[in-house]
Amino acid sequence: MAHTFLGYPRENGTFGVRNWVAVMSIMDNCNPVTRAICQQVDGTIAVTTLFVRGQYGRDLEIAYNTLAGMGRNPNIAAVLLVGLEEQTTEEVARRIRESGKPVEAIHLQPHGTINCVAEGSRKALKLVVRASGARRKPCPTSALMVGVECGGSDTTSGLTCNPVIGQMSDRLVDDGGTVIISETSEFFGAEHLFAARALSPAVGKAFTEMVLRLEKEAMSQGIDIRGTNPTPDNMRGGLTTIEEKALGAMAKAGTRPLSGVLSYGEAPAGKGLHFLDAPAPAVENLTAFAAAGCQLIFFGTGVGNPIGNMVSPTVKVSGNVNTLRTMADNIDFDASDILEKQASVRAIGDKLYDFAIEVASGTRTSSEILDVRETAISRFAPTI
Amino acid sequence: MPRAIVLNRADNVATLIDTGHAGETCALQGEASGEIKLLQEVPFGHKVCIRDTPAGAEVRKYGQVIGKASKALKAGEHAHAHNIESARGRGDQTKR
Repeated sequence: MAHTFLGYPRENGTFGVRNWVAVMSIMDNCNPVTRAICQQVDGTIAVTTLFVRGQYGRDLEIAYNTLAGMGRNPNIAAVLLVGLEEQTTEEVARRIRESGKPVEAIHLQPHGTINCVAEGSRKALKLVVRASGARRKPCPTSALMVGVECGGSDTTSGLTCNPVIGQMSDRLVDDGGTVIISETSEFFGAEHLFAARALSPAVGKAFTEMVLRLEKEAMSQGIDIRGTNPTPDNMRGGLTTIEEKALGAMAKAGTRPLSGVLSYGEAPAGKGLHFLDAPAPAVENLTAFAAAGCQLIFFGTGVGNPIGNMVSPTVKVSGNVNTLRTMADNIDFDASDILEKQASVRAIGDKLYDFAIEVASGTRTSSEILDVRETAISRFAPTI
Repeated sequence: MPRAIVLNRADNVATLIDTGHAGETCALQGEASGEIKLLQEVPFGHKVCIRDTPAGAEVRKYGQVIGKASKALKAGEHAHAHNIESARGRGDQTKR
């Protein structure tokens, strides 16, 4: 039986789970106008960014590709770009136009803040009216691309929420969908197990090289990474070493073969399980998922990390009974029956897959409703 | 009685899913059964050593190496950063 969710078919053959108009800053000095427009116009989301001005070379390409990737995300019906001047805005605009969706732009030079907020609000109003004409229709689950993440991890993460997310991942891959796991440093000590799942030796080698390159870079600082990763809250939660954390984190990727590897700002070319080379901290990692085209993100947490992504609704999953009590407002899915009632990972994972279809069809997540959302594009080089 | 989960038969640590106090008997679940007496407090989510492990020996969870014992570990002892060393990302041990 073909599975479906109720989503928004897009011009380029993709399917959205939300239908927002994105108001997007091209660089940090545009953020105040972006926020002001979103405050005025319902139906929009503010995609802000830091830096970009002064970035160059590979780092600037990553910034443009990541902004454009978020703009192309199927959850976005149309984009209003807020730029400082036309040349830099066009770099992002042309990359989004490939998707066929409406792209408009306003510029701070020479109009100034007040005129820009007014003109931008009028443009956003028209885009929202047009977008709101779309209706949810049955869409194939094979069109879903989900990112799998963990944050605020503890030892319950590797026992409950992460393997539950892994079962959901396996179900989606079996249905012809796409799953992306990331957080390169959180493979230190588990990379041999994951590389063995690669569909080809070349993919396995590329993955292992990404992990070892980052470890080498970290070691060149001459310090013990413990205290940074695992973090102090990870360690209070019982995680002792990065190896232990990695073995638990990898469970999010289920058991299916690794089809391909991606760089920051890149989107997968095919279906199945992918690895994305991106820093572990949640905000910059979730941003890379949104730019890759993920319509949904599943985020396992132990001691609790509430943050979600702006463009890609983020489902918080926890199996820690204490966190489910103290941070209940921030958790969307309870996996505690595994430790408390000896429920099977498979049974709870299957329930999470059902919940994924519900969220894809319109059920809202806590981080969307509370607006606990943030955007950050990773930087790998200095500005000049 | 506090519970602790053993994930693989090769493991020499188990993860507590309740808070354990010194002198309490802890019930092992998962890939091992039996009981172990806690020599000290072990917080929720932390690990207890379930087999005497000499200093320098591998510490295993999920059947995989998660580090090395930085000092001898006794069965029943709290096993964490004070007696287990990571082997990865150790720039502090690299000759510069």
